[in-house]
Amino acid sequence: MSANPSFMSGVPELLVLRLLQDREMYGYEIVAAIAAVTGQVVAPKEGVIYPLLHDLEKEGLLRAQRRPAGGRTRVYYTLTSKGVRRLFDLTDDWTRMTRVIQHVLKGPLHAI
Amino acid sequence: MPFEELRERLLTSGIAPRHVRRYLAELGDHLDDLTQAQRDAGYGAQDAVIRARARLGEDDDLTTAMLDRPALRSLPARAPWLIFGFFPLVSLAALCAVPVGILAAVASLHAHAGGSPAAPSWFRDLTLSAVFLGNWLLPPLTASLFTALASRQRLPAHWPLLASIVLVVIGFHMQARFPAPHLHGGSLGIGLSFPGGQDGISLSRWLAGSLLIITPALLYWGWRWRQDLSTR
Repeated sequence: MSANPSFMSGVPELLVLRLLQDREMYGYEIVAAIAAVTGQVVAPKEGVIYPLLHDLEKEGLLRAQRRPAGGRTRVYYTLTSKGVRRLFDLTDDWTRMTRVIQHVLKGPLHAI
Repeated sequence: MPFEELRERLLTSGIAPRHVRRYLAELGDHLDDLTQAQRDAGYGAQDAVIRARARLGEDDDLTTAMLDRPALRSLPARAPWLIFGFFPLVSLAALCAVPVGILAAVASLHAHAGGSPAAPSWFRDLTLSAVFLGNWLLPPLTASLFTALASRQRLPAHWPLLASIVLVVIGFHMQARFPAPHLHGGSLGIGLSFPGGQDGISLSRWLAGSLLIITPALLYWGWRWRQDLSTR
């Protein structure tokens, strides 16, 4: 990751679930999309996305399907209904957390 | 194979073979896409491959990413004591139950068809064949299956050896008894056997059977030993 790794826990999972909410993708597309939507701030070594995808699939959050595409076969990943619920939960958590952190960073510190 | 070393590292670290297989296939596809993207960006063939491999990640990165996810480890790697200490007996019992079940079904059909209450000669032959299968072929086959499982996952050789020893020490033994032809009935039994037990098999037959059971694990041990020597 380009950003501080200690801040990145859970971020790749959230991004993958959010991207797959729009459409099914294969690994190379997912990595390229993450780099594009985050302006390269989140740019892992590209191969490390696959263990995450396998793990999410094992949890039932994604479904993998090998299909022919452009003369080759690709493993396409799709969000499951369980994955959609996880995405909503993570989005809520993330939104609440960023709001609190923003509040702390911008607000007066007299309460400390 | 571009990821042969990575494959060995993942398998010896306990990652399930199906995840390793798919991971490497996906990495191969990804590397092809990255290489093509570098070519499209104007790099020469050799530079494109080098840059693509760097973007994909070093073997250390790719290995660590997989090992950080315990759910991707195989059951034999997570619980080898269970798989190689307990499952061999369960598997052998299940395998032996198949011919016993078939024989029982055949006997039942024969009785319902109004056959002679004394066991016919073909049924005796069938039963004795099943007993031979259960006592001499299925135990080495079971040991071979567990050795193959260990080999597929690059597990240390002592695990299939443990499975073989369990099968040797506590095995199943099938016995068939038929009374004299003018008497009715007969029996086919399956049970745990220990060498020298009252109804057990003779020591020489037990030793011969044990050698058959333990040979696959010993061969695997030798193969691993040669592999270790060649990698030093």
